[in-house]
Amino acid sequence: MGIVEVKNLSYTYPNASKPALEDISLSINPGEFVLLTGPSGCGKTTFCRALNGLIPKFYNGTLTGSVHIAGLDVAEHSTMELAKHIGLIFQNPDNQIFALTVEKDIAFGLENLGISKAEMHREIDWAAGTTGIESLRLRATHELSGGQKQRLTIASVLAMHPSIIVMDEPTSFLDPVGAEHIFDVLDRLNKEYGMTIIIIEHRIDIAAKYVNRIIVFDEGRVRSDGKPSLILAQEDTRLLGVGIPRILELAKRFDDHDTMFSELPLTSDQFYGQITACLRIKEFTSKKSLLPPDMLDLVGEHHHSPLIQAKNIVFDYPGNVHALRGVDLTINHGDYVAIMGENGAGKTTLVKHFNGLLRPKEGEVFLDGEDISKQSVAQLARRVGLVFQNPDDQLFEESVEKEISFALRNFGMREEGIAKRVTWAMNLLDIEKYRESSPFILSGGERKRVALASVLAWDPEVLVLDEPTIGQDYGQKERLRHFLTQLRTQGKTVIIVTHDVEFVAESQPHIVLMAQGKIVAEGSTKSIMNQTELLAQCSVAKPEITRLFNDLEPYGLPKDVVDVDEAYQLLNRKIEEAER
Amino acid sequence: MSLLESLRFTRGDTAIHNLDPRVKFMMTLVFFSTSVMFLHIVPLAFVFLIQIPLVLKAKVFSEWSKSIKGAAFISGFIFVTNMVSFYYFRDGNLTWDLVEYSLSLTMRFIVLVTSFSVFFITTSPDKLSLALEKANVPYEFNFAFITAIRFVPVLADEAQTIMDAQRSRGLELDKGNFLKRIRNYIPILLPLIINSIRRSLELAEAMESRAFGATEDRTNLYELSLTGTDKLVLVVITVFFASALYARLYLPAFPSLLGFGPVF
Repeated sequence: MGIVEVKNLSYTYPNASKPALEDISLSINPGEFVLLTGPSGCGKTTFCRALNGLIPKFYNGTLTGSVHIAGLDVAEHSTMELAKHIGLIFQNPDNQIFALTVEKDIAFGLENLGISKAEMHREIDWAAGTTGIESLRLRATHELSGGQKQRLTIASVLAMHPSIIVMDEPTSFLDPVGAEHIFDVLDRLNKEYGMTIIIIEHRIDIAAKYVNRIIVFDEGRVRSDGKPSLILAQEDTRLLGVGIPRILELAKRFDDHDTMFSELPLTSDQFYGQITACLRIKEFTSKKSLLPPDMLDLVGEHHHSPLIQAKNIVFDYPGNVHALRGVDLTINHGDYVAIMGENGAGKTTLVKHFNGLLRPKEGEVFLDGEDISKQSVAQLARRVGLVFQNPDDQLFEESVEKEISFALRNFGMREEGIAKRVTWAMNLLDIEKYRESSPFILSGGERKRVALASVLAWDPEVLVLDEPTIGQDYGQKERLRHFLTQLRTQGKTVIIVTHDVEFVAESQPHIVLMAQGKIVAEGSTKSIMNQTELLAQCSVAKPEITRLFNDLEPYGLPKDVVDVDEAYQLLNRKIEEAER
Repeated sequence: MSLLESLRFTRGDTAIHNLDPRVKFMMTLVFFSTSVMFLHIVPLAFVFLIQIPLVLKAKVFSEWSKSIKGAAFISGFIFVTNMVSFYYFRDGNLTWDLVEYSLSLTMRFIVLVTSFSVFFITTSPDKLSLALEKANVPYEFNFAFITAIRFVPVLADEAQTIMDAQRSRGLELDKGNFLKRIRNYIPILLPLIINSIRRSLELAEAMESRAFGATEDRTNLYELSLTGTDKLVLVVITVFFASALYARLYLPAFPSLLGFGPVF
């Protein structure tokens, strides 16, 4: 019998017309590392909450079927009792840290259970050690970085010694290196202590390397269930909008991938190990001429006149936090720029200077050659539209239509103009059908689109998007990518702040790399993604495709490949060449 | 606002920080009551001066001076209103003893600010909650107290982000007449309130998942126990309070230092 046994589980939220879960039966064995995935709103989060009884006890609604955790019927035991067996960790670490110091927070669950002080100290030592936060034990919780906070939430649950850990999108707020740390911790718990791990994650590229089973949810049902390489290779999974690791996608491009790969690869290493048999090391190769020369190589990056210029900006937050230490940056008309770097590198601080939300302590910012220090935020916002990461930090009106017209009214536009623009923005983002709905009943992805529309509506010259891909499933990201392309063809200048390397690899912006309040490098996606040490310094992961081509360099392939299309063409020619 | 802000706990590892919160609170109360007992500049200045070594010992001089600076305006206000009211009540006869009296009242306020700021600056909320627990305050209340403190920085961050987001949508907070200005805050308050409701649901879920309320006999990672230093301090402040009480009741009142002559 499995450690998690779910039989014919159906659940409907109170006042909902459709069930959130429908007839789910599955069994998870001790020691499995399971990834739950599926498009937004597919029921995976609801499922996790049913595992420790939060559903239906906390949410009410109607539940049929049964859930057993470690042999205990969830319906007959309280969530508190189950806490000893199953630890649930939620998406936002800030909303589950209760204490003011790290060790006190780890102790919270133990205190609740009435564990003795001596035992508590032992458990804290162990939990902090396993998650790598022992040096932070006495630190104040609000001073921790996002990654440290997330590790603390794991430690706090771990201290109660559950045999199952369930995490709902644990890495959403983290940079790629921080995300890998979290997975390393989970991997250790799984391998060393045999814990059963169940996670929900949109970052399939990272997750697929660690898990040994994937369960795909769709519309409240289990759509498929099995080994990662098999599940992710299914066309079905792809159509659902689950992000397929780029390496797997590349492998599947080859018509005869069944014979080429004994097992479909999920990582660049697996791919490399299997592809080399089809290739020959070439001693004298010219690295060029495999592909028609890139337009970029011929003409160089074409430069329009400067639009935003930052000259030696210095900015400190109160308490002597040096957020920017001398930033020089020029963004031209029509540029597409991605600002990348680790959490706390100063990316968001920098873009807040573009519309005057923050004013530099030293240095100047120019917009179209004009010094902006004398202009108000409202004046600048008309020209530079800034879309924030979390739509919930700005939505407040009773209907989507009003929400979108809010800014237009602030700018003093006339009513008939406003109506036209609102409709235009709604159509562009495909939210026309929600015109009269309250923004609060929409899903996360839809709310994000409303927030975007509410800025786009006034048609600013520059659009700045802070972390537009966070919490978005693969299908939503694809739509965003197409949308940005569309904006660029209209001549808009687009700036994104992002951690999402795969998104960048596919849309290939000009990259500005930041670390510790400074710009450490800028250049085309290809050139930046090849600077291994620099990327590591900035906590930016290299795209898997680039990793592969770095390894394949001895075979006479260029190493600066970032996207799947180009990778396929190059490899295909190479293989044909080898066969000849 | 700056006065309240300067009362924030500053981590440290000094004898003052490590005092038992109950003993420290007793000490604060002793300073408080002594300063209320006397209305003469000499004893008040004395109580003020004996607190200076405590401030230095706790290495919180800059935090303390911030709170004094924050209190400067109110101190000035106390002094000026006293002077003005005396001047009018006494038909324009202002004598030096009244100046001294106003100074004493101001000094009393500064003593109060000092004693409470030393207490709050050097006592972690965790210890404060332990002291409350020892005083048989129900755990739920304690938990709410700690959680409130815990979420102050989180909410402050969120409020800032919301403000930035709405200003980026052309909201001008300081535009329009008084009513309009109040209305300008709606786009900031609404998301803040809605996020807080959402957050409290998530908090409740996380509490459930961490066995909140599982047993009546809840244990605590930290415990309070009186050390030798604590006991010594307790004895010292008791003696101090007793002598202050004696001085107040049995010794003749201090004469005015500045005399009774008219100021002008």
